[in-house]
Amino acid sequence: MLSGKEELLNKLKEAAVNGDADEVTKLSKKVIEIGIDPLEAVEKALIAGVLELGEKWINGEAFIVDMIAAAEAMKAGLSILKEEIVKRGGSIKYRGKIVIGTVEGDIHDIGKSIVASLLEAAGYEVIDLGVDVPAQKFIEAIKQYNPDIVGMSALMTTTMLKQREIIEAIKQANLRDKVKIIVGGAPTTEDWAKEIGADGWAPDAASAVELVKKLLK
Amino acid sequence: MAKPRIKVLSDEEILEIHWRSLSILSKVGVKVDHKEALELLRSIGAEVNLNSRVAKIPEYIVKEALDKTPNIVRLYYRDGRRFIELYGDNTYFDVGSAAYYYMDYKTNEIRRPVSRDLAEVAKVADFLPNTHIMSTALVPSDIPEIIADRWRMYIVAKNCTKPIDTGAFTLEGIPDAIKIMASIIGEENVSKKPFMIFAACPSPPLKWSELTTQNLMDCAKHGIPVHIIPMPQTGGTSPATLAGSIVQSNAEFLAGLVIAQFTKPGSPIVYSGSPNVFDQRFATPCTGYIEVGLISAAISQLAKFYNIPSAAYTMVSDSKTVDPQSAIESSLGALISVLSGINMAIGSGMLLEENCISLIKLVIDDDIAGSTLRFAKGIHVDVDTLAEEVIREAGPGGLFLKHKHTREWWRKEHYIPRLFDKRTYDMWRKLGSKDLNTIARENVEKILKEHVVETLPKDVERELDKTMKSIAHKYGIEKLLEI
Repeated sequence: MLSGKEELLNKLKEAAVNGDADEVTKLSKKVIEIGIDPLEAVEKALIAGVLELGEKWINGEAFIVDMIAAAEAMKAGLSILKEEIVKRGGSIKYRGKIVIGTVEGDIHDIGKSIVASLLEAAGYEVIDLGVDVPAQKFIEAIKQYNPDIVGMSALMTTTMLKQREIIEAIKQANLRDKVKIIVGGAPTTEDWAKEIGADGWAPDAASAVELVKKLLK
Repeated sequence: MAKPRIKVLSDEEILEIHWRSLSILSKVGVKVDHKEALELLRSIGAEVNLNSRVAKIPEYIVKEALDKTPNIVRLYYRDGRRFIELYGDNTYFDVGSAAYYYMDYKTNEIRRPVSRDLAEVAKVADFLPNTHIMSTALVPSDIPEIIADRWRMYIVAKNCTKPIDTGAFTLEGIPDAIKIMASIIGEENVSKKPFMIFAACPSPPLKWSELTTQNLMDCAKHGIPVHIIPMPQTGGTSPATLAGSIVQSNAEFLAGLVIAQFTKPGSPIVYSGSPNVFDQRFATPCTGYIEVGLISAAISQLAKFYNIPSAAYTMVSDSKTVDPQSAIESSLGALISVLSGINMAIGSGMLLEENCISLIKLVIDDDIAGSTLRFAKGIHVDVDTLAEEVIREAGPGGLFLKHKHTREWWRKEHYIPRLFDKRTYDMWRKLGSKDLNTIARENVEKILKEHVVETLPKDVERELDKTMKSIAHKYGIEKLLEI
């Protein structure tokens, strides 16, 4: 027989895996209600569930949309549990903090959003600046959030050049040493990343997660 | 909902082909090398010459036979529970039958098959989601020819749960097949829930051999489905013209239909065909010519005109190896099959005209079959799929990836290929830069390693072994080969 706590955490994990944000919200409230350690709920249910789904996705058994739904569900749960964790004087231990955005002049959302979701699913805190992000906004975000990594996406050969400009601007602002910078997007290459002085490059979303893990080791 | 369909003949052209076939049957007749069948034909009003063995069959007899023919043919699984139904525009894919050669998936060598190979083909076919019918695909060389037909049924029945497309090379073939089926589903169910369908091929032009006629009548007597397979060979055993080949094979089919329906009314018959092109350059009977597709589609239309299920050898390639040609010929054949509503698309896994089975081609053909079946379903249009609300919610520049609708519908709307590569170039390189043949070979290995075929109940298996032993015993074979 499972205890009531184990049963609830199992249900919460299942709801996260299923990407059912409503159910996750409901169960997260219940976690607080019956006094289960919210940190434990985050780690053993939400993060564990999403990581499990991540494995499935790598093996081709789940879809990107499932991953994203799971990441969204996890976030829904986090927003509730976080408050309680703070109240108890604790904090969620993310594996790292990442600021991500598609560069100025480029409104391609999908690749960047997939990377953001996969990173969230892998246990990172992600601040998504959206699309068409100018250098100044990246700089402000670095100051405000103090991230470990800044990720820049560009889907066009024309906007790819912005990646260089933004890195230069970050240097100008004397912030280059504070963060690692990674770049990606269809026209980019490993050579391009080296040429513009980025710390890393990934050809696809799954590799981007691997790259982040490697850089933050 | 408009579904994509093709027609290669107009209604008038179908009628004219029908009339011309009837004219051939009544004026020229067919040669039937079978005394009992000739007597049967004479008794129902055909003009029979016992010396030349030619029977001229009048139109009204053909009409009567057509009236007696069922419109739906049900093929059961080995368990007597599950079944597929051949009718309408449904297409089911069927592994090519009776190949004399086998392409070893490990070495790509073309060699004579052994029983173990046939068991492996059966196991793979049992797994494949878009391959619905297994055949007695190979003629194993490690068993005496005289019992090879029944030995194949035995091996396949043991290693695959799906319906079996088979044939008999001997006069005892059908009676023994009935015993084999009876040992699995019980004697009382052989006629009710047969899990085998038999091939009966008239010998073009206009001939029914003794063996084939006997097989046809044996099946009819027991209510076992038969697909009658005319094999016109343009410019060889039939006219060079497609229309002429169709007229002739239609006459051959109708003659068989008459024999079956007057042997026993209501016999389940499928209008099948294995048209081929006699290549005048190399004297080869080719099954991958695009005209084979045209004749096959015409057969399907004629079958629908008669309200009889259809079949055709559309998945066979003339290629000597698994290569672009083999994939192209199968793909065209598969698409033609689903678009013309051929109920049994036969020949998955086949190369070398109809002489070789390759497991690598079989697993690729399964993805081709899945893709074309999806295509035939067409575009699903309703309020939910038109998604106006979803587009509104996403708005200009929005992202559908996070929408519930995407999650629900993406998997429903697409055929997700098991083998065709859809990764990025970098992912593909990271995974070893594998071409389709390599991926297919690895898939074959994985299926053989991981797939578990539902086993027969122990007592049923014992009964089946006993039956096979008693068949072998008739030919002085006392010990069965261990597979």
